[in-house]
Amino acid sequence: MAITVLLSFTACNAQIKNAKTESVKIYGNCGMCETTIEKAGNKSKVVKVDWNKDTKMAIITYDAKRTTQDEILKRIALSGYDSEKFLAPNDVYAKLPDCCQYERKAQTVAKVETPKTEVKEDHSTHNHSAMTETRQDVSQLKAVFDNYFAVKDALVKTDGNTSSTKAKELLTAINAVKMDKLTTEEHTVWMKVMKDLAFDAEHIADTKDASHQRDHFMPLSENMYALIKVSKTETPTYYQFCPMANDGKGANWLSKENAVKNPYYGSQMLTCGKVVETIK
Amino acid sequence: MDNQKNIYKKLLPIAILLLTTTNTFAQKVVRYDLYVKDTLVNFAGKEKRAIAVNGQIPMPTLTFTEGDTAEIHVHNLLKEETSLHWHGLFLPNKEDGVPNLTQMPIKPNTTHIYKFPIIQNGTHWYHSHSGLQEQIGMYGNFVMLKKADDKTFRNGIDDLPTLPIVLSEWTNIKPENIHRMLHNANDYPALKKNSVQSYGEAIKAGHFKTKLKNEWKRMLAMDVSDVYYEKIFMNGKPSSDLKSIDGKELKAGDKVRLRISNGGASSYFWLTYAGGKITVVANDGNDVEPVEVDRLIIAVSETYDIIVTIPAENTAFEFLATTEDRTNSASMYIGNGIKQLQSPQPRLKYFEGMKMMNDMMKMNGDLDDMGMNMSLNQMDMNVVMYPEITGDSKPKQSDNDPNRYNANALADIVTLNYAMLKSPNNTSLPQNAPVKELKFELTGNMNRYVWSLDNKVVSETDKILIKKGENVRIVLYNGSMMRHPMHLHGHDFRLLNGQGENAPLKNIVDIMPMETDTLEFNANVEGDWFFHCHILYHMMSGMGRVFSYENQKPNPLIPNPKLAQRKLFADDRAFHFMAENDFATNGNDGMAMVQGTRWSIGTEWRLGYNDHHGYETETHIGRYIGKMQWLMPFIGFDWRYRKLETDAMGNVHGEKNLFGQTNTKDNRRQFSLGVAYTLPMLVVLQTEIYHDGNLRVQLMREDIPISKRVRASFMVNTDKEYMAGLRYIVNKNIGLTTHYDSDMGLGFGLFLNY
Repeated sequence: MAITVLLSFTACNAQIKNAKTESVKIYGNCGMCETTIEKAGNKSKVVKVDWNKDTKMAIITYDAKRTTQDEILKRIALSGYDSEKFLAPNDVYAKLPDCCQYERKAQTVAKVETPKTEVKEDHSTHNHSAMTETRQDVSQLKAVFDNYFAVKDALVKTDGNTSSTKAKELLTAINAVKMDKLTTEEHTVWMKVMKDLAFDAEHIADTKDASHQRDHFMPLSENMYALIKVSKTETPTYYQFCPMANDGKGANWLSKENAVKNPYYGSQMLTCGKVVETIK
Repeated sequence: MDNQKNIYKKLLPIAILLLTTTNTFAQKVVRYDLYVKDTLVNFAGKEKRAIAVNGQIPMPTLTFTEGDTAEIHVHNLLKEETSLHWHGLFLPNKEDGVPNLTQMPIKPNTTHIYKFPIIQNGTHWYHSHSGLQEQIGMYGNFVMLKKADDKTFRNGIDDLPTLPIVLSEWTNIKPENIHRMLHNANDYPALKKNSVQSYGEAIKAGHFKTKLKNEWKRMLAMDVSDVYYEKIFMNGKPSSDLKSIDGKELKAGDKVRLRISNGGASSYFWLTYAGGKITVVANDGNDVEPVEVDRLIIAVSETYDIIVTIPAENTAFEFLATTEDRTNSASMYIGNGIKQLQSPQPRLKYFEGMKMMNDMMKMNGDLDDMGMNMSLNQMDMNVVMYPEITGDSKPKQSDNDPNRYNANALADIVTLNYAMLKSPNNTSLPQNAPVKELKFELTGNMNRYVWSLDNKVVSETDKILIKKGENVRIVLYNGSMMRHPMHLHGHDFRLLNGQGENAPLKNIVDIMPMETDTLEFNANVEGDWFFHCHILYHMMSGMGRVFSYENQKPNPLIPNPKLAQRKLFADDRAFHFMAENDFATNGNDGMAMVQGTRWSIGTEWRLGYNDHHGYETETHIGRYIGKMQWLMPFIGFDWRYRKLETDAMGNVHGEKNLFGQTNTKDNRRQFSLGVAYTLPMLVVLQTEIYHDGNLRVQLMREDIPISKRVRASFMVNTDKEYMAGLRYIVNKNIGLTTHYDSDMGLGFGLFLNY
């Protein structure tokens, strides 16, 4: 009995009260996008969203007493779709299926010099260096440093495959450095370390065995340290040391965070080590 | 024309200064007048009572510069007493604002003046220390600026555009009622948060064994927080825009400093930012070396100063504060333009948390850290519940990985922990002072919501005497199942976190279950200083101590110390009332109970609708024993009347129990002695002997969570009585029931509870 009453109740209440209808732009690609957008926006008896994949326009009908356009668009943005008011979180956008990776026309990309090598990840909003554009020399070596940090991060995870690919990118970045654009100090150090950097990067790239990669990562880190000391970077870099690495002789590495994540041992002894110098 | 405008701009602050300050010698007195008044608000769909100060919630931001003298006039226009505590401030004890400890409460329609020199700088806040007033609006920012010539002035930090933010929560339920419901283990908040963790849900999640083991170890479903809040606020708003600071529009590349205080009564908040990393520059009002993180959790009553950057043009970036249980959040959009959202924190994996608790809990109720020596929030057992750290499904890492609770080791994102805080200055205590070491275990019992130190509440202990000049070192171990933000009044302590001489100065330490933390401070200001858990409902339950200096002068604001103490102790001595009744087709079934920290007085009744069904009541007065309060001896009184069958000869036959003892239920009045003990699976074994020598043994379990809204119960005893029932929860006060009872048969009912 109660169930039938309930059923009939929902059936006759399907329409939206105090209805207000608006047409808004929502960025997206395909039929799959349509399903996600409408599912995220709809709320039974309160909101009905109808998105058209050709015009990218959505007809939104909602109970103006119970919700607002902003609330609806925010929900849709949180499911991955930009509108004129809200931008989807980058990580949610990145997780959309390939066919749904629409062009994010609404987003202003942060003013950041991208490394000379190919851009691998969507870092568009991560960098806070709006001022780098003028300093060509910084971004010259920045690609080198960034790729070094990528190799380090992969070694922290003992992920030989990734460190190999990252090392390849590092090598490309090293070869792409235009020496005439470096400062005199940088140039001097660069001449000294360039060959070794390339040598170690190549060896890390050539193997997928993390322990062999780590052997080369030690001299690589030493040379990077020499280089970063004379180079200007936007953010501080931390020179860290683990006394147990290299068979108890100890070894260093560079990190962007002052929290220790040991690339020589990975999860075995992740937090072993300390910051020995902060380079600004 | 432009010139004129400029002159006005320059004159305006001077005019304001003139209005609020009077110069006495070289010292500047900054006066504020605060009018505390009842108000009605509609924050979450219903009109409710709140307290506004100068007509606003939160209370106004009070700003001073180091060296000023604060003079704050509090006008109490409420119908009840009030007080204001200046959280984290160094001040004379009588200005500290703890009613019945450092002053008598501010009576209705009176004015109290707080006056003290400002001898420090940093981000702090202030709140009512009376009852539960902090929950309904009495919190506000309290900012003390550095002097311009301060040696510790940090360019690029102290000169940034700055906004103070006080975080808070709102519930439509009266806080007194929340407090009462917590003490009665009402699981309605869990229902609202979808964290009931019933057997049905456990089976669906493939965690039936986990749930079974959890109940075997006598635990109720746990959540990371206890109260359900409808709204979360930043400066009183669930969502707000920060487009300009001090009239200057924010643009790409700008850095903004946020001075954040957690004025929530019981919520921890995760802080995240859509525009990238967060740089932490101060904690609890004390500078720390800048440290860059992806997120941090701010404990109840802590403060953090953080710097965020606006990375792109024409965009406002979401700064998000999410409750630790992730059910709600508040946003602020920093910048101008389209709103770049931050992804919300994903829902907790409750059954992973339950499994973790099962592993940690010993059968006797103690916790077992399995040799991990946890401290400083570095290992967070809760990571097993965080999908962003341990993935969406079951955790991958092995059971003996030393980093299995280390969020920073398991994921790419950096989470702040206390070990990363480093003071820019040498914070060492005076070298030659005598050291007094104190040890406390934080203890508690979720089922009955009793929170204490060393299993003693405030009213059960004496003040702890310390000597002026000595260094007090406190070692805290959290043996309870919840985290606690422990706050010390009137002093900053050094948290020994491995930074040596540069240990950070704090006045709150958040301590997670099984952690041990050491803190130390130099005893340099006489007075009675409260040291307590800052979760409002834990504090009101008595989780704290009072530090008192030996041979100190009496406090002129406490004319009658004995009376004050009695009133102070009244908070945790309060009894909490609950009642329920099932209006069923076959009779009424119900109980009423008042309970305190140790005592319980309860009456149960079963009232049939005719003499054959009978009428009976049982009253028990008992005392809970031990830390876990599983054992309760009691004295009782029973009265029952039931017309029994008569045989052909007209003789009335009593009923026989399992032990062959006869009892007449016809107008029976009996005193009894008994003991109730909570067995594994939360079954209560009650053994009772009556004054006529009859013995009764009973097993009972109520509120077995079958599904999100269905609870089952059963009872069986040696009088050959038995009962089994089901209840469907409609809302926090109403349920629908069906049960079968050996006396009254099958019935359906409407269940009301308070």
